[in-house]
Amino acid sequence: MSSVEEISNPVAENLEEDGVEEENTVEEAEMEYEEPVKGGYIFYRDRKEWADLEPVPQDDGPNPVVKIAYSEKCKYVFDMFRALLKNDEKSERAFALTAEAIELNAANYTVWHYRRVLLQALDKDLREEMKYITAIIEDQPKNYQVWHHRRMVVEWLNDPSEELQFVAEILSQDAKNYHAWQHRQWVMQEYKLWDGELEYVEELLEEDVRNNSAWNQRHFVISHTSGYSDSAILEREVQYTLKQIKKAPHNESAWNYLNGILQDGGLSSYPGLLEQVTELQDTCSSPYLTAFLVDLYEDITKIYKKNRHHSKPVIKLCKLLAEEKDTIRREYWNYVSRSLQNTYGSGDPVASSSDPPPPSSSQQPDTEPSDP
Amino acid sequence: NISTEQRKAESSDEQEDFLRERHVRFFQRCLQVLPERYAPYETSRLTIVFFALSGLDVLDALDVVDKPSLIEWIYSLQVLPTDDKSNLSRCGFRGSSHIGVPYNSSKGPGAPHTYDSGHVAMTYTGLACLIILGDDLSRVCREACLAGLRALQLEDGSFYAVPEGSENDMRFVYCAACICFMLDDWSGMDRQRAIDYIRRSTSYDSGIGQGAGLESHGGSTFCAVASLCMMGNLQEVFSERELKRIRRWCILRQQNGFHGRPNKPVDTCYSFWVGATLELLDVFQYTNFEKNRSYILSTQDRLVGGFAKWPDSHPDPLHTYFGICGLSLMGEAELQKVHPALNISVRAFESLRRLHEAWRQKST
Repeated sequence: MSSVEEISNPVAENLEEDGVEEENTVEEAEMEYEEPVKGGYIFYRDRKEWADLEPVPQDDGPNPVVKIAYSEKCKYVFDMFRALLKNDEKSERAFALTAEAIELNAANYTVWHYRRVLLQALDKDLREEMKYITAIIEDQPKNYQVWHHRRMVVEWLNDPSEELQFVAEILSQDAKNYHAWQHRQWVMQEYKLWDGELEYVEELLEEDVRNNSAWNQRHFVISHTSGYSDSAILEREVQYTLKQIKKAPHNESAWNYLNGILQDGGLSSYPGLLEQVTELQDTCSSPYLTAFLVDLYEDITKIYKKNRHHSKPVIKLCKLLAEEKDTIRREYWNYVSRSLQNTYGSGDPVASSSDPPPPSSSQQPDTEPSDP
Repeated sequence: NISTEQRKAESSDEQEDFLRERHVRFFQRCLQVLPERYAPYETSRLTIVFFALSGLDVLDALDVVDKPSLIEWIYSLQVLPTDDKSNLSRCGFRGSSHIGVPYNSSKGPGAPHTYDSGHVAMTYTGLACLIILGDDLSRVCREACLAGLRALQLEDGSFYAVPEGSENDMRFVYCAACICFMLDDWSGMDRQRAIDYIRRSTSYDSGIGQGAGLESHGGSTFCAVASLCMMGNLQEVFSERELKRIRRWCILRQQNGFHGRPNKPVDTCYSFWVGATLELLDVFQYTNFEKNRSYILSTQDRLVGGFAKWPDSHPDPLHTYFGICGLSLMGEAELQKVHPALNISVRAFESLRRLHEAWRQKST
């Protein structure tokens, strides 16, 4: 997952070009000076330290596929890495080489694994490792391996004390980085660090009320602390969300949150909800408001079996969405309308009196007539 | 009433013509040599092969590749059981030769190597590539692959990518489901645990995240729904009411093209992740095809071929593949249909089905 949009590709990591390293011409210039430089330059210039190790090249057989054209340097570093791996060498030079390999390809999970083996075998300073991984993540915040490595080091140290601040730093650069949020949730849950998170979420929502990750985090924090069963909490959340909707009516995240927190109890059971939302129609109109009303009416209809009174407004709302407020989803809203009519009747007194009442079970099959 | 020539001229003016030949050449080049900046893809080269081969298959252009050579190369990536069978829990396919094990196109036992193990996404794409190339999987050590897969499942039902440990999330649940489906053998996983993981990953907004508590996302929603479809359990796991809410979450992802999360920019690949999910839920027909198609084609690179996530951006194999699959879902002319759960052409899927019939007959 490189740029992301997060994890834009579920299976493979995003092959987005901007995630890739450039040729470091500065490094090559420095090599001409006889300075005692650390790192890869030594490997490349001072091969006698590695003379005992036979490099192991990659073997793709007679017909290699998707062959990557490596520079001599890169090939050398990885040929040496393969040699170390084969011998399972546990040494300082092996540890130093992993850093070289990581710089060339931070997505090589075998290098990271080997580095972790060495960290333990050589009893390396894990605080130093935290500094190292911090720098790498800052540079490549959409790489899976670096976050996994950080998690391992935090677990070994059993010290989450820097984590929330670190993740906040990364989120300040990209407030929707999925890896960052994943790490944050892991830390909070593993070490029970819930304090101050609701405040943090509110800060983020002040900065961008449309940040869907922040809304998700809000739900995460509250579910794991007070929960939503307390009616005072639920009321607070509903009012908070309505307030954010008034500030920015065209915001799917806020509407999803409102709908989401009221689902369990049922939209129709929250007192005054229909009135509060209907009131918003003039000033805070959006396709999300109208869709919310569709869901609310459907819940009322199902719970109170008031098919005659409420299916007509629902069908009207679906038509409003299809024809005016959410035309990109015209076909979908027409389908929703047809489904509702099949389930609850069309609201026409003559027709519905001959319809049997719908079963109250939520397992009601979708009786959509087949389309041509 | 406009003629075909006129229509073609008009669409090329609007830059809405699908440049099939260019994409065929783009994939051909991918299969050859990639520049050094592709170094991060070393361990997942097999997935690039998958994008290229499955892409060429959907483009109906597999005749341009050397199938036997490719089959040999893919088989060289199989982590074979060693003589003493001590590495069964590490079997599967590698993403490339990056470990440095000697070339062996699955002819004989595996060479022991402390750090040699399969990767769940490579086992999935490796098997898929073999199927697409018309191979009968006779050199696949099925039992070893399944043992390797079992070793990757965690208590919570999700999967690691590799036995040494890695992150675990919905992507690898999907890879695991594909592997079991292709090998026609669900002993590779504890299905109930995987189902539980999927249910726990469902968000308050009815989309599905990478894990419990995480933000709902088009990619993980695809992985979850497609996995359940392959298990044959979609209607048992989710009630009709829940399915309606998932449909609503997914269909709201369309802006012109599709995005992966509310309030995020659209990206070509979601035309497949979300589009395929909608197709599995029987409502893709209710999306706006014109706007989706226009968006995908706006990300087409007319010079070099391929597709990018956004217009005027560099194309890459992944977005090219999913852009093409996104178009295929809408019935684009010249494209083969794609199986929305397994993510291979329907033609390749049919050949897999025939293989399964042959296996089942043999075992009776």
